Amino acid sequence: MEFVNPEGLRLDGRRPMEMRQLRAEIGAVARADGSAVFEMGNTKVIAAVYGPREVQNKSQQSNDQALVRCEYTMANFSTGDRKRKPKGDRRSTEISLVIRQTMEACILTHLMPRSQIDIYVQVLQADGGTRSACINAATLALADAGIPMRDLVTSCSAGYLNSTPLLDLNYLEDSAGGADVTVGFLPKLDRVTLLQMDAKLPVDIVENVMQLAIEGCKAIATYIREVLLENTKQLEYRRGL
Amino acid sequence: MVGLSLGEKHFIKGGIDQNIRSDGRKRDYYRPIFVKTGVIPQANGSARVRMGATEVIASVKAELGKPSALHPDKGKVAIFVDCSAVAEPTFEGRGAEELSAELSVALERCLLGGTSGAGAGIDLTSLIVAEGKICWDLYIDSLVISSDGNLLDALGASIKAALANTAIPKVNISAAASADEQPEVDISDEEFLQFDTSAVPVIITLTQVGRHYIVDATSEEEPHMSSAVSISVNRKGHVCGLTKRGGEGLDPSVVSDMISVAQHLSELLMSRLDSEISAAEAEIGDDEES
Repeated sequence: MEFVNPEGLRLDGRRPMEMRQLRAEIGAVARADGSAVFEMGNTKVIAAVYGPREVQNKSQQSNDQALVRCEYTMANFSTGDRKRKPKGDRRSTEISLVIRQTMEACILTHLMPRSQIDIYVQVLQADGGTRSACINAATLALADAGIPMRDLVTSCSAGYLNSTPLLDLNYLEDSAGGADVTVGFLPKLDRVTLLQMDAKLPVDIVENVMQLAIEGCKAIATYIREVLLENTKQLEYRRGL
Repeated sequence: MVGLSLGEKHFIKGGIDQNIRSDGRKRDYYRPIFVKTGVIPQANGSARVRMGATEVIASVKAELGKPSALHPDKGKVAIFVDCSAVAEPTFEGRGAEELSAELSVALERCLLGGTSGAGAGIDLTSLIVAEGKICWDLYIDSLVISSDGNLLDALGASIKAALANTAIPKVNISAAASADEQPEVDISDEEFLQFDTSAVPVIITLTQVGRHYIVDATSEEEPHMSSAVSISVNRKGHVCGLTKRGGEGLDPSVVSDMISVAQHLSELLMSRLDSEISAAEAEIGDDEES
């Protein structure tokens, strides 16, 4: 099947290095300490952060840093076919772990000992790149909750089909059987915190595809920064400053 | 959630006694309701409803299936509720299992009628394609995103809105099929039938606090309830389902009074929902045309 036609357009009309449309909204869940909705094309996820708060399970309490917990779930209606078991399956457990590790590396946990930070991510619509959208949404939610972080964590995926590196794969491109590289990036510190790849890629192509994903992360970081600035302006305006 | 102090509890109860609740509402007022339909593009119908700070999303997916042997002329509907951990940290993992099951069953009772399918708010005979062989199975999935009390009413409203947004594809059956064979079906990509929701009821939950009952309780009012009765009423003012929760017993006259209050309130809620739903549907129509 042709994923990049002779004119250089992908299945949804994008160019190979073009990302899907991004949309973010802060403060979607009123009762959470911080929350955000993040859309990448048709993939839509909502993240909520509760914390820092008292540790629920005293045996897990740590005296010198905060405990970070994360749960990733997909709604029944998020995929084309109905999912019967939204939580507890292996993929969800793995992604929960991945998001937790990525965010934990970035949160200044030593500033909040003996406390717990819960990150809950819910996928409302899945069209490829859910992992990345979840990490981006979690970053925004943590910022909304005012939790101190080293840097924003942004994430983007890239692949390689029809001999072309492609940025931000959607579901059709992801299930095509080509490689799918997901990168989690700290833009200011210029460090990669998450790197996952499946399927095969020639060694000399891996570097290119990863670099493309990192460029995608930098673009998302710019967008997230704009959203946060706009949100702060709104807060100032509402306070009458 | 932080617990309420004794002073706060007295304040809330006192307010309800004097017909002024914490957010300024009277006992029989609903919070502002917002409806947006068509939020899940890959579903046959969907809606997102916000009542105050409670927010739920409902989606309707239709799949072809076989009708049950006991009711060969009726389609099937299944309702599932999922409470997301995003709404409440206690919903994490299996924490919300009991609540989800309770809400699913209460919704099925209010909307789907008895086990024989009689008296259902949703007309199951309209879902039949080939009697005894092929019918539509509707899977209604609801997700609670934000929880601030009165989940059942919000879920009922979201299902009503999602059904109003539901478009079931037309199916053409090949005529030449013998009695035992499965007929061939051709699902149309272009022609759709809008689902008829005129008989779908709304659910009104009346929570008794002290000597009075309030409608649309928030999450800080709900812990004070002695009992709650959820009544679903349809357009004609007929009661379609009833659920009583809470340990304290109710005098039978109180129950009759609650039913009549619910019937009166249902007219207001029904007309409010209808106008919100048609506004939401019109918005989609405008978006498509522009």
